[in-house]
Amino acid sequence: MISLRFPRLKFERIVVLTGADAIKISALSVVISFMVFGAFLSFEGADPLVAYEHIFSFAFDPKLGLPTTLHRGFFLVFNTLAFIIPLAAGIWNIGMEGQFYLGTIGAFAVAYSFPDLSPAALIPLMLISGAIFGAAYGALAGFLKGKMNVNEVVVTIMLNNIAFWLVYLLTVGGPWAGIAESTSRPLPKNAWAPMIWDTPFTSILVIALAILVYFFLKKTTIGYQIRTLGSNPIVAKHVGISAPKISVLVMAIGGAIAGLSGYHMWAGDPAFLMIPRPEAYKAIGDLTYWGIILGLICLLNPLASVPASIFIGSIIVGATVLVRRLRLPFGLDVLFLGIISLVFAAFQFFHQYRIKRVKVVRR
Amino acid sequence: MIWPFIARSLEIATILLLAAIGELLDERAGVLNVGIEGLMLFGGAAGFIAALKWGLLPGFIVGTIVGGAFGLLHAILSITLKVNQVVSGMGVWLFAMGFVTYWADRYSGPLPMGMVSPKIYGLSPMFFIALAIVFVIWFILSRTHLGLKIRSVGEDPSTAEVSGVNVIRIRYLCTTIGGLLGGLAGAFLVLTYLACWSHLPTMGLGWVALALVMFSLWRPPILLAGALLFGFIWQFAISPETIYAGIPAPLPVLRMLPFAVTIIFLTAISSERFRRKWALAKPAALGQPYIKE
Repeated sequence: MISLRFPRLKFERIVVLTGADAIKISALSVVISFMVFGAFLSFEGADPLVAYEHIFSFAFDPKLGLPTTLHRGFFLVFNTLAFIIPLAAGIWNIGMEGQFYLGTIGAFAVAYSFPDLSPAALIPLMLISGAIFGAAYGALAGFLKGKMNVNEVVVTIMLNNIAFWLVYLLTVGGPWAGIAESTSRPLPKNAWAPMIWDTPFTSILVIALAILVYFFLKKTTIGYQIRTLGSNPIVAKHVGISAPKISVLVMAIGGAIAGLSGYHMWAGDPAFLMIPRPEAYKAIGDLTYWGIILGLICLLNPLASVPASIFIGSIIVGATVLVRRLRLPFGLDVLFLGIISLVFAAFQFFHQYRIKRVKVVRR
Repeated sequence: MIWPFIARSLEIATILLLAAIGELLDERAGVLNVGIEGLMLFGGAAGFIAALKWGLLPGFIVGTIVGGAFGLLHAILSITLKVNQVVSGMGVWLFAMGFVTYWADRYSGPLPMGMVSPKIYGLSPMFFIALAIVFVIWFILSRTHLGLKIRSVGEDPSTAEVSGVNVIRIRYLCTTIGGLLGGLAGAFLVLTYLACWSHLPTMGLGWVALALVMFSLWRPPILLAGALLFGFIWQFAISPETIYAGIPAPLPVLRMLPFAVTIIFLTAISSERFRRKWALAKPAALGQPYIKE
């Protein structure tokens, strides 16, 4: 009698994914992304280890990249929060880009209209105006989704494109146009953000916001209603949760947070607005899409989004070194981000399944 | 003269038609691919680089095949690995933005002199090819046994499986064909319509194609009408002066137009009244991974 043993792979469904497992999966996907990108680096004739050393030593050097790393990292936290809250209610907010542009418009409109106000009055006004503009833009998509049942993914993407052209209209040859091409006039001095560790004060604000969102979703009645709607719309209907109301609410909150990132991105650091020509590299608007990936990696946990965003921020800033310092081809930094997003998307698999080896005895 | 304008808008309609009919086939089989924009970028970049090396026709072929490869990638992620289809499509799209910037931006510029796509009175014959493809897909979906299988997989995969249809194979087939057509659309955009490569040339066309599938009510004939309409709107936004000399609206306002019209159309067809009047052919299992229990 001969028996052969074939190990076979079987997908086993995971019911509850623990935070520790999620961290393990994310760490593994980071390692894989680094290996894949390392292959591209060797193909371009660079030593991957040296390149990675350059990336992170630049990104975390307080004299060189650290302020920008924190600035970009906290910018991503805003956008991750703006993605997390609607998704907790089951709504895909892909419109952070548009809400960010609208928030920028809101903040800048106040600053240009009242340049003589004292900073103590002007800066809160800019923040509020940015949040309101972003919230209104988000609520529009939320209203269409909740009341009219329009697909929110397509609507928010269309709104992103409209918002891009709106900013373009204002800055390129428009009323806000500055001297340099495709930049706006500098903001009045009173509107400049107070800096903490060389980043705008909004960085501290966003950490507080992440904690607030955490408790809002976990501990409040509305947060509970949001999560119920997200996990089971039918149950939500039976217990009397109004889906249209919640979808407007979550999109408005998400939009407000994404709108605040408009102030964070432009007001403090460059203190002017920059919109590239449409066929050029529009890096800042594209960064907002990281909110989607980060939100999913963090399993919609607002607190986890802070360290994860800083990490991605360090790659965004550090990878620019590849082009400038190592003379590697243009676009490698964006490629790295693309690889990470694809690998993370693929690793979503491990959030639902684990692979088990099953020993099958065959005769 | 108005004819060049019409020819150009028919070419935009061709791009939308190719990308959208592929997506329609995907969605009829129950797979949502939100990354059409990414497929078009890959198809366009691969087609452009291949055209620089070997000529125009190989460019189209390579672009189509590369698009198909990334359609297949989406299929592996969303069908075999059962990743959420929106996540997987977004992943492919974001990867496309990064990869294409790295790969093709160094070749930025027009196609070499003399590499001009064939035209019939200024209109690319690809328009007629696209019409034929739409007809073939309409015929397959509504008149053949295979089409019945595809639609049943999109409506209720477990019932289809019980009655002897291989759900996984049908979904793989449709998603890959959708990818091929997305790649062809991208190659046509870059090689014929633009005849150059510039940073991320799709400019939201892929997303308009995705919306187009939704307001075609998942029916090829309505899709054709929608593509023609949006081809006109898109081209009008680019060169309005041929239709309406001295139009008062500035360029950015016009460029918002196609996106705004998309939202209005989408809202109109999503209303309850409209849905009851024009029975919606939306596949019931759209966006849900098929899990064999």
